[in-house]
Amino acid sequence: MSIMKLSIGPQHPISAHFRFLLDVDGDVVLKLEPDVGYTHRGIEKLAEKRTYLQNLPVIERVNSYCDSAGTMLGYLEVIEELMGLEVPERAKYLRVIAAELNRIASHLYAASLFSVATGLETMLMWPINDRELILDLLERLTGQRITYTYQTIGGVRFDMPDGFKEEALKRLDYLEKRTEDYYKMLLWNHTFHMRTKKVGILRPSDAIKLGVVGPNLRASGVKVDVRKDEPYEVYDRFDFSIPTGKNGDSYDRLEVRFKEVGQSINILRQALKDIPKGPIKKWVPPIVPKGEAYTRVEAARGEFGYHLIGDGSMKPYRLKISPPSFRNLIALPHLCQNIPLADVPIIYISLDLIPMDVDR
Amino acid sequence: MLQKAKDGLMDIKLFRRVMNWGKAWSLWSVHLETGCCGPEDMARACARFDTERFGTLPFPTLRECDLIFVTGFVTKKMAKRLKIVYEQMPEPKYVIAIGHCAISGGLWWDSYSVVQGVDEIIPVDVYVPGCPPRPEAWIQGIRMLQEKIAKEGMRKK
Repeated sequence: MSIMKLSIGPQHPISAHFRFLLDVDGDVVLKLEPDVGYTHRGIEKLAEKRTYLQNLPVIERVNSYCDSAGTMLGYLEVIEELMGLEVPERAKYLRVIAAELNRIASHLYAASLFSVATGLETMLMWPINDRELILDLLERLTGQRITYTYQTIGGVRFDMPDGFKEEALKRLDYLEKRTEDYYKMLLWNHTFHMRTKKVGILRPSDAIKLGVVGPNLRASGVKVDVRKDEPYEVYDRFDFSIPTGKNGDSYDRLEVRFKEVGQSINILRQALKDIPKGPIKKWVPPIVPKGEAYTRVEAARGEFGYHLIGDGSMKPYRLKISPPSFRNLIALPHLCQNIPLADVPIIYISLDLIPMDVDR
Repeated sequence: MLQKAKDGLMDIKLFRRVMNWGKAWSLWSVHLETGCCGPEDMARACARFDTERFGTLPFPTLRECDLIFVTGFVTKKMAKRLKIVYEQMPEPKYVIAIGHCAISGGLWWDSYSVVQGVDEIIPVDVYVPGCPPRPEAWIQGIRMLQEKIAKEGMRKK
């Protein structure tokens, strides 16, 4: 049999902005090569032209797909570390609330994409519909559905509106009940098991060697979470666990995400209960001192690393972003060796990659 | 009666009106995401906003589609593919530019790799501003396109 070259994307229901170059022998994929760069905007270069405050919406759109609050948190952390700035307590809690709500929204989005890849259309509609409830909450808090620019240097922009806490708790209760339905509909579904169990097994040693981060790494059984290992903001005050998978296959990668939704609900309940009164923003000079700093945060898709070099002016000298999807993308060619062609979409969707932050 | 029906069919204006009605209410959209308005594309297609009420069904095969939503910014690398997709679609075809980035470059006005406005590459019928536009705004864009199609081939009053 001769080897055929196959190109999938970018106009394809499964590959969002990617193009995959496959070497196919009959139905067996021998090699997969991702062609990235379809969403490259040059954010790292643009960040050098803008001031730190003007950079907020730009940096947010590194991963504005679902998880803007989590993405932004890392940028603010690195600036505040370089400035030696202590943010007001209430602002820290509000930041965590926004980030965790966003994590839930992101995981629900991932679940719906996953189910449409396996051909389960009902589970496309359910999580997206429940995600709207979370987006409503975020809209009430921040004024936008997807791109918030809510957290700013020295705090957050708006305080919690009246009645937000009660509404949020009500919706979280509903979502917790709803998760059981998801288990019945999707995770205990025989069809779903057949498509995802033992597909794309990522062994823990390989995952560590390749540098995979986030829920994909945890699904392989490695217990790593920046929120626990190196707590930022107020994560050290909350009582939550890190869910891990056993086999590291596509099924586990989705199950870990569902369990993380549960943990996020747990964190949100504690945050909404403990949130102190006080100011939400501190006045900050627009100039960041000379020096270097690196911070990492746990966004929905994994670990975001920010390396900032300041030259004592209003603009960053260099801002290097190390996004989670780029690190997880490396696992895709590794997993797509000697597998049937029909498994490629499942593995791709299970890694929950977003081309925006691969290319930046 | 028969004569009346025959006259009705021969009436080019009525014929066009029926054609336009058919075109306007079966705008199937091709699945091509170019920028970060993608999640709103999903939200507007799913249960809560449900643009299938207006005949806009997201469909994987571009040979059966009539509509492109240019969702957000278009990079120079993506621009070539966007043009190929547009050329492969059968007539009639319509384009809705979603978001500031697709309209004029938006936030990426000084970026070296982003096309400053998608109308440089393909003709655009309706512009929907926002970053990203709310699903209601998408629906308004679809409605505006339907009104535009309804006037196709008709004499101006």
